[in-house]
Amino acid sequence: MAGGDAVTSTPCRSQEEECSLFLSLEVKDRLSQKMDLEGQLRKMGSAPPGPVPEGLIRVYSMRFCPYAKRTLLVLRAKGIRHEVININLKNKPEWFFKKNPLGLVPVLETSLGQLIYESAITCEYLDEAYPGKKLLPGDPYEKACQKMVFESFSKVPSLMVSFLRKQNKEDCSGLKEELHKEFSKLEEVLTNKKTTFFGGSSLSMIDYLIWPWFEWLEALELNECVDHTPNLKLWMASMKNDPIVSSLPTDVKTLQGFFNLYLQNSPEACDYGL
Amino acid sequence: MQRKDHAGCCEFKARAAVLDHFPTTPTRPCCSKVAFGASGARRNVAVLGPCAGGSKPHGKDCERWSLRRRRESMTDDATRTLGKGSIPPGPVPEGVIRLYSMRFCPYAHRTRLVLRAKGIRHEVININLRNKPEWYFTKHPFGQIPVLENSKCQLIYESVIACEYLDDAYPGRKLYPYDPYERARQKMLLELFYKVPHLTKECLVALRCGRDCGDLKLALRQEFCNLEEILGYQNTVFFGGDCISMIDYLFWPWFERLEVYGIADCVNHTPALRLWIAAMKQDPTVCSLLTDKNTFLGFLNLYFQNNPGAFDYGLSC
Repeated sequence: MAGGDAVTSTPCRSQEEECSLFLSLEVKDRLSQKMDLEGQLRKMGSAPPGPVPEGLIRVYSMRFCPYAKRTLLVLRAKGIRHEVININLKNKPEWFFKKNPLGLVPVLETSLGQLIYESAITCEYLDEAYPGKKLLPGDPYEKACQKMVFESFSKVPSLMVSFLRKQNKEDCSGLKEELHKEFSKLEEVLTNKKTTFFGGSSLSMIDYLIWPWFEWLEALELNECVDHTPNLKLWMASMKNDPIVSSLPTDVKTLQGFFNLYLQNSPEACDYGL
Repeated sequence: MQRKDHAGCCEFKARAAVLDHFPTTPTRPCCSKVAFGASGARRNVAVLGPCAGGSKPHGKDCERWSLRRRRESMTDDATRTLGKGSIPPGPVPEGVIRLYSMRFCPYAHRTRLVLRAKGIRHEVININLRNKPEWYFTKHPFGQIPVLENSKCQLIYESVIACEYLDDAYPGRKLYPYDPYERARQKMLLELFYKVPHLTKECLVALRCGRDCGDLKLALRQEFCNLEEILGYQNTVFFGGDCISMIDYLFWPWFERLEVYGIADCVNHTPALRLWIAAMKQDPTVCSLLTDKNTFLGFLNLYFQNNPGAFDYGLSC
């Protein structure tokens, strides 16, 4: 976690902690492309998977987890051969803690048995370890800029989860205002850069890293939060048009159905949409 | 080689102690820059422009001050802070990178370590964090430190981002490993560390306010146990292997402060961590930036009295 003023800094909670709030999902990956093998839901009592075959990298994931989505987007954007194993986060297999002691997704596992976790770290690892299109800029300053934008995004995930939990209950105007404030920060970046995307005129790492939460806006009926941020709105539209992003769509109705069941703590949530 | 470094370290401490006995005259902030060459040799102080708060020429004062500075300790940052009403500094000269800092800030300490370790020519401007200059908010939206500024007017902030930028942008010794997996490992280790700054600060505040900090110390010990486990599992002296690397420098500032914060006993049950601390103190870069204990205590005393002069404690000027 990055530092700051010694006097006022507060700890940043691990982003992956948020994923443990999600229920498990039975996965028959309907969106399986030629690179994704059929992800099987792994739950308590399931046998540990074997080693990762050479030439492939494995990602432990969960279909609706925005953190894991970052990793999936990068895998696709770089055309990396991979397999997906979805984890029942409500009922974790014992062996999964050997992959990540925190028991969170996403986790990458290589054919050498190396394990990498924390979504942003997995994404950077993939960019460095694999050839082809670089998603992070080569210029040190431009790379640092992407990381600074990433930091300024850091409050958004927890705000959106708070909003999700509060929905249909208390007054959310305070949360909406906070979210609006965070979005204004991002709007300023786009306005100053005068580019469509956060890294320039084409899509790059930072766009993929923050995208998954913007997919939630419509499902949470928070579209109004980008009403005063026209550049951000345009960015969202451009993202939706990106071939990689649209190859991993999140259907609004499915997401809403999942949220609904999740809020009711229903065991059926995992079957929703299937 | 090690012995020589240690001697240098002692000499530094002796000089720093002498500093405390210099009377602190309430002079205007001026000549607040000291530039260093790659070899660590001091260059002459550059006067930036009209000194803040004065119409009276104090060229002579500057001269005397800079003479004194040349006799002072090895620290590159022993300069008065700039506060409200100070003149904004000019652009950064080519070939130099500027660090906005504060002598006692652990986050800024990370960046100073990396600048030193890589032998990067830099200048330091210390900021009065309780009385921030208005112009400083053009460098960082919330007025935080550390911030790097280069001669292209590019600004980089967040200590970890600043450290990585320096490693990427400057040649010579690489502090992060080349191997992507090893790089990822260091970043995962950093995640493991994230509670430590907050906990150490909370302990400090509790102790200074006369509150019990048993629970906090317990939590801190637990974090240290996690780090101990890593060292045990790796069976290496340093967190990145057998040589010091980026992750060690990123951790170090908080371990250097354990003693002055009054929580050195939190490493009582972590022998590998204690060995790491000892090994770190042998590192020439760490050594060259060690802050004298009395100076630090002097700072803390004033800081907790909300004295804006705290940040300049121990400076002779």
